[in-house]
Amino acid sequence: MAKAVEIKNLRKEYGAKVAVNNISFAVEEDTLFALLGVNGAGKTTTIKMLTGLASPTSGDAIVLGHSIVKEKDKVKEIVNLSPQETSIAPNLTVRENLEFMAGIYGMDKEKIARRTQEMIEMFSLAEVEKCRAKTLSGGWQRKVSIAMALITEPKLLFLDEPTLGLDVLARRELWAVIKRLKTEVTVVLTTHYMEEVEALADAVAIMVNGEVKAIGTIDELLAQTGKQNLEEAFVEIAANA
Amino acid sequence: MKGIIFCKRTMKEILRDPLSYIFCLAFPLVMLVIMSVVNESIPKQANMTVFQIRNLAPGIAYFGLTFIMLFICIQVSKDRSTALIMRLHASPMKSKDFILGYTLSVIVLALLQLLITFAASFATAVAVGTKLPVTGVLLSIVCLLPSAIMFISVGMIFGTLIGEKAAPGICSIIITVVGMVGGVWMDVDNMKGVILSVSRVFPFYHGVKLARLALAGEYAEMGQPLLVVCAWMLGLYLLAIAVMNGKLKKDTY
Ligand SMILES: Nc1ncnc2c1ncn2[C@@H]1O[C@H](COP(=O)(O)OP(=O)(O)OP(=O)(O)O)[C@@H](O)[C@H]1O
Ligand SMILES: [Mg+2]
Repeated sequence: MAKAVEIKNLRKEYGAKVAVNNISFAVEEDTLFALLGVNGAGKTTTIKMLTGLASPTSGDAIVLGHSIVKEKDKVKEIVNLSPQETSIAPNLTVRENLEFMAGIYGMDKEKIARRTQEMIEMFSLAEVEKCRAKTLSGGWQRKVSIAMALITEPKLLFLDEPTLGLDVLARRELWAVIKRLKTEVTVVLTTHYMEEVEALADAVAIMVNGEVKAIGTIDELLAQTGKQNLEEAFVEIAANA
Repeated sequence: MKGIIFCKRTMKEILRDPLSYIFCLAFPLVMLVIMSVVNESIPKQANMTVFQIRNLAPGIAYFGLTFIMLFICIQVSKDRSTALIMRLHASPMKSKDFILGYTLSVIVLALLQLLITFAASFATAVAVGTKLPVTGVLLSIVCLLPSAIMFISVGMIFGTLIGEKAAPGICSIIITVVGMVGGVWMDVDNMKGVILSVSRVFPFYHGVKLARLALAGEYAEMGQPLLVVCAWMLGLYLLAIAVMNGKLKKDTY
């Protein structure tokens, strides 16, 4: 299988703090890859580098064939992300938010209309499409924020804690959407929910203190640690690192 | 094209904030009425001409532009404080798109404000028994546009450099300075001395003068203030581009 992402010795320092410490791994195309780790492990920083938001201190990554160091502009066109913090234009309606995103990624009028409609259906946003984004509840805003990332038809989609703040039903609904995506889009997601990983992920990497401590399928991680479930395995790896 | 789309969203954000109407539209109108009333109570012998409608209208129109500066400053700093900016920075948008979008969105607001201010001035003129020349008013509006772009540039510069909390404060200082040395509320020309020399250093005095000359039809004298106003506009716009470019290039994440 082709690689959607190939990370080579990627490192990010903030002053004296090493947020990401020379990590290397690859993500296969059209799979869902879960990035796990305790708070401050470096997940968001990794995503920021892979989406062209932050420049690596050293190392590089090839995203869909393009270097994030040398071809940042190209990478920005073909990937998208749903940031950890809900990210929407507050005074715009849900529909306008979606149209706005499609627009700044250069889609024409027809395509904007079609994609907007598709997103409204996919995320069941019809009942709130005319509401100003700031008036929605946190969970609804979250869904809009994710739809805003997907509307631009990215080949690679980063979801930073996508189900944070969603209720159980909304979470399962979103899982279903993400599962359907997998056939066309490579998804890299971070989460603190192990059920989420079990429900969705094809491969998992566990980050500790800016380093990747374990990587593989869920079964491989279980075998490696000799544990019965992912949570136990995660604790084993994260605590003993 | 991305700039235009960004402009549309910025206009929506601004126009859907009720504060925009209060500051950008209501405030100039209120000042116009108050100052006209003040003018009526000034004795003729005092020979105070600043509050006469033909001087007052361009002055208030100019002063109103400082609120446009405040608005774009708040919008830029607010955008920087929200998570939306992260999304925009991850998108293929370039700094030229940001600048174009911000500038266009408030230029429209500035034009609207100028039209309303002068329309109200027309009515006020009629009410006090005089008339404003139509061509003079139109020319005055055109002459105020470079100043509008200059104020927008200043707004973008401070909005980019300082935070949401400090932005209104800095703008208030500039607004006060404009009021003092711009000759909007007092006849700086007749004060001579220090105030006049200080006034001439800043572009405000020249901008107000230009708008008044245009309205009065005194074209022969417009050359010099026009030159000063355009030079400031150009300089500050370029600075705004440089500042925003620098901010985008810098690793903020
Ligand atoms: N802009 C920054 N400036 C300085 N330090 C930073 C910056 N961004 C992140 N860090 C530090 O880098 C480390 C990794 O942060 P990061 O946000 O990547 O963690 P994370 O794995 O996403 O955590 P969480 O699960 O809490 O979201 C942390 O110690 C954080 O304090
Ligand atoms: Mg994070």
